[in-house]
Amino acid sequence: MMPARKVRRSARPRRVSSLQILAVVGVAVVAVALLVVLNLGRQGSGPARSAVYPTGLTADGQPYKGSPEAPVEIVEFSDFLCPHCADLAHAFDALAADYIETGKVRIVFRNFAFLTPESVQAAQAAECALQQGADKFWRYHDELFARTGAGRSAFSNAQLKAMAQQIALDRSAFDQCLDSGARAGEVEADKAYGQGLGVRATPTWFINGQEMPGALPEAELRQVIEEALKGVEKK
Amino acid sequence: MRRTAAETGWRCRLIGLLALAGIGVSGYLTWTHLTNQAVACGQSPDCDIVQQSAYSEVAGVPVALFGLLAYVALAGLAFAYGRLSEALAEYVPLGLFGISLAGVLYSAYLTYLELFVIRAICRWCVASAAILTLILVLSALELRTSQT
Repeated sequence: MMPARKVRRSARPRRVSSLQILAVVGVAVVAVALLVVLNLGRQGSGPARSAVYPTGLTADGQPYKGSPEAPVEIVEFSDFLCPHCADLAHAFDALAADYIETGKVRIVFRNFAFLTPESVQAAQAAECALQQGADKFWRYHDELFARTGAGRSAFSNAQLKAMAQQIALDRSAFDQCLDSGARAGEVEADKAYGQGLGVRATPTWFINGQEMPGALPEAELRQVIEEALKGVEKK
Repeated sequence: MRRTAAETGWRCRLIGLLALAGIGVSGYLTWTHLTNQAVACGQSPDCDIVQQSAYSEVAGVPVALFGLLAYVALAGLAFAYGRLSEALAEYVPLGLFGISLAGVLYSAYLTYLELFVIRAICRWCVASAAILTLILVLSALELRTSQT
């Protein structure tokens, strides 16, 4: 058996050359590099984790980020399961260095949880995070919006708790808050408040009181903010 | 001239079987991702954290689907090995090697993401990385054999 095999092999020309192997290795490396680069692009659109700006609570207990003295105030009504809300949040993040960190814009978040039962759960979870501090709220907010579009199961109770774990919230306090539905009233009140202002869909946001329905791409958002800043200067 | 069963190599048959296991793993992950099902992961939320992370898709395509396609190609090549004409069969080990090399490199990147960025380990993904690594080793050996 073995000798026969050897004879056959040696009689056969070498069809696969080292050059061909090198070419295949090259193609494999380039293909993987391409996938990695495409994936990095997604990473860039994610929440900015190293952002530095003040966070706190407004007089009526709503979380904000940015300077409380900022000339432009944006109040957003969002549902954590709404993809356009995530787009808007990511657009705010993209502009954070220019407007939020420089003290020009302050963003106030209000829940408008209306899409699915998971929306309400996610909103309550965010309120539970808020109980541990406004900075914790914004980190949790970023975690939630990083998962928008991943489907309702991404916002199951277990997942909401896993996210809390990931950003090092006090788990027992968070779990107790979420499981007891302690913040349900707050979430309802936020929605009722929005409805009172005429909010019907998400995201709806107000820039210095002027209603802006829907998400805007980064460039247009920048333009709207610039106009609002100019409007303030004129006054 | 057709190859005998012994000549097609036990390695290719083993690669075929490993690729079938890979189809199972990546198929399951693709299905759970597309239908938003929870991933069976013991009691750990880690698999879901990885599966629902921003890194689980590239340009809207689930990463698991790339894996599934790669395994289907690997299984197809491995099982076709003995049935192809000799001229074509020469290139089967090269194809297996190229696909599994890309798979291992990409799995390495994904494992890095799991360890240092997402900070959750998806055991299904680890299983897939292990399968691909085995296939890479086997196909490299097969390639060397077919060259000598």
